[in-house]
Amino acid sequence: MLEVKNVKRSFKSGDVTVNAVDDVSFKVPEGQFASIIGKSGSGKSTLLSLLGALDKPSSGSIEVDGKDIAKMHDHALISYRCQKIGFVFQSYNLVPNLTALENVILPMEFAGLGKKERLERGKKLLAQVGLTEDQMDRKPGKLSGGQQQRVSIARALANKPKVILADEPTGNLDSQTGKMVFDLLHDLARSENTTIITVTHDLSIAGKTDRTFQLIDGKLTEYKK
Amino acid sequence: MNVVTRGIRNAFRNQIRTFSIVVILGLSVGLALAMLVARQAVTDKISSVKSSVGNTVSVSPAGARGFEGGGTALTTAQIAKLATLANVTSVDSTLSDRLTTSNSNLASAVDAGSLGQRFAQNNGTSFSGGEFQGQRPSGATSGTSDSETPVMRTFTPPVTVVGTTSPTKLSSSVGGGSFTLKSGKTFSATSTENVAVIGSSLATKNNLKVGSTFTAYNTSITVIGTFDAGNSFSNNQVLMPLATVQKLSDQAGAVTSATIHVNSIDNVATVTTAATSSLGSAADVTNDSAAAESSVAPLENIQTISLYSLIGAVTAGAVIILLTMIMIVRERRREIGVIKAIGASNIKVMLQFASEAVTFTILGAVIGIIFGLVAGNPITKLLVNNSTSAATTATTMGGPGGFGGRGGGRALRSLGSNFSTISASVGWDIILYGLGVAIIIAIIGSGLASFFIAKIRPAEVMRAE
Repeated sequence: MLEVKNVKRSFKSGDVTVNAVDDVSFKVPEGQFASIIGKSGSGKSTLLSLLGALDKPSSGSIEVDGKDIAKMHDHALISYRCQKIGFVFQSYNLVPNLTALENVILPMEFAGLGKKERLERGKKLLAQVGLTEDQMDRKPGKLSGGQQQRVSIARALANKPKVILADEPTGNLDSQTGKMVFDLLHDLARSENTTIITVTHDLSIAGKTDRTFQLIDGKLTEYKK
Repeated sequence: MNVVTRGIRNAFRNQIRTFSIVVILGLSVGLALAMLVARQAVTDKISSVKSSVGNTVSVSPAGARGFEGGGTALTTAQIAKLATLANVTSVDSTLSDRLTTSNSNLASAVDAGSLGQRFAQNNGTSFSGGEFQGQRPSGATSGTSDSETPVMRTFTPPVTVVGTTSPTKLSSSVGGGSFTLKSGKTFSATSTENVAVIGSSLATKNNLKVGSTFTAYNTSITVIGTFDAGNSFSNNQVLMPLATVQKLSDQAGAVTSATIHVNSIDNVATVTTAATSSLGSAADVTNDSAAAESSVAPLENIQTISLYSLIGAVTAGAVIILLTMIMIVRERRREIGVIKAIGASNIKVMLQFASEAVTFTILGAVIGIIFGLVAGNPITKLLVNNSTSAATTATTMGGPGGFGGRGGGRALRSLGSNFSTISASVGWDIILYGLGVAIIIAIIGSGLASFFIAKIRPAEVMRAE
């Protein structure tokens, strides 16, 4: 369960205070696939940063499995990001000089898993997202956009996170590949019982998620289908 | 793969850049090592020169050097004061004299040769050879009276008698050399007996051995030992107790030279000043260390230059790696944000970048060590050769080196000529220093980069999306 209560995140811009996220509250149960839509600058990425413990809210609380991440110390936040959160980025953000497999096992190394276990799980995850043995040993530059995003999804799943946060996961892909990636995320939410929150501009994709929220000027409202 | 291996692998992400950094770092480390090698070689040489000069101060009557010059002999009372000066461990006193055929039956073991005859040939006169073979320090018969009736006479080099409180130390004022007892024994510093230890050449020439007697100052003297000094001049000498020579030569309390032994070479200058102050204008107080200091001054300049160059080279290396790492961190800002976002701590990211910096510097160190091995000796020689003219000027200004003189000029010229023999060697210690320098460069160089890494917030990766 992900529960956000009255979260605010404000920034100072000269003498003006900008509320990027303004008194946001919502709940997403375990295994649910939710999407957040909104215009550029509406605060989507800021909200995703707060949910992923990449940033701290100015006020309010964010609870994952009953623990308020807004009150965690930096060291605990690193562990939280490592164990509980998986990130999928629009531009994949794979480490360019590591192979697909090495990229996937990287979070497992940070989590302290043994070498053998890391390798086995990494291969299994890559196979699960549809990469061949040959593709696993390729560096990102030798993979297509869709394949890189699959590797990114496999990396997000590496430490069996409670929540996957996806920032425009299909934004850099053609519609067909985008649909495949979306279906993959959807299936994972079902099979792994993982909560997935995705930010998207694509209303056709947002329409297929379990719930959709709309963010306007930092204020969140649930989008009724 | 762990953070260290990932850091090593990252060092080769951009091979052209890696090659450039490694070559520049290699030159920096190599120059640092060459300077270290030069400094070490020069430091060793300076120590060697200083230790060869010794911790001694020489005292002689003002205006006198050996049997040359004039002046008035010093007294045992004056010398006794020197022994009480601070930092003085002991004082050796000598009274040098020459035996004549009228008061001794000893025949000189040294031939006159062309040097001994040169004045007779030039002037048609000679010393009063039959009666006196040399001159006394004071109160001797004037040579001018002999020249009133010019006649050609054969010059015979005199037999020198040295009254000394330290028979095993041969005074540089009368030949010097290294004392080796060949037979018998020596006498004590305070002895008043009519005994002598004689040079090996003199013993052979006069068929003397331990237990034999000879006549000096018309007194029977017993040979108690023979010695070898390693040079013909000193081996033609007779060593006797100071008090005995003072008594037999009617020079009660007279001393013609003294050697002050100082507890440390660092105190030689202080003792020289104190001795000069104590004796006033009655004595010439000199030490070779002062002259040696000026002769090694060019080497000390090299020592300073090499130290600054060493610091400069290490600093340059550190700045190179520092700027490189800052550039790399800025370039991979997003990647660092991603790695942090997926669970890496600051320490792990810093360790990865430090491994990358260490890889650069170790590769640079390997090139630098090779450069240091090849260039260390030539650079040292180049630095020394450039200073040789200054060193030569300093050494040729040393003390007198003529007959009976102190030989200071010779000694210091020898020190000067030794500069050309300086050779730098590169051992394991230098190689370890090289690696140490590389690690220091890597640590300093990656320090600021680590600060920037710590400042990168993982949220920035989301903003860049």
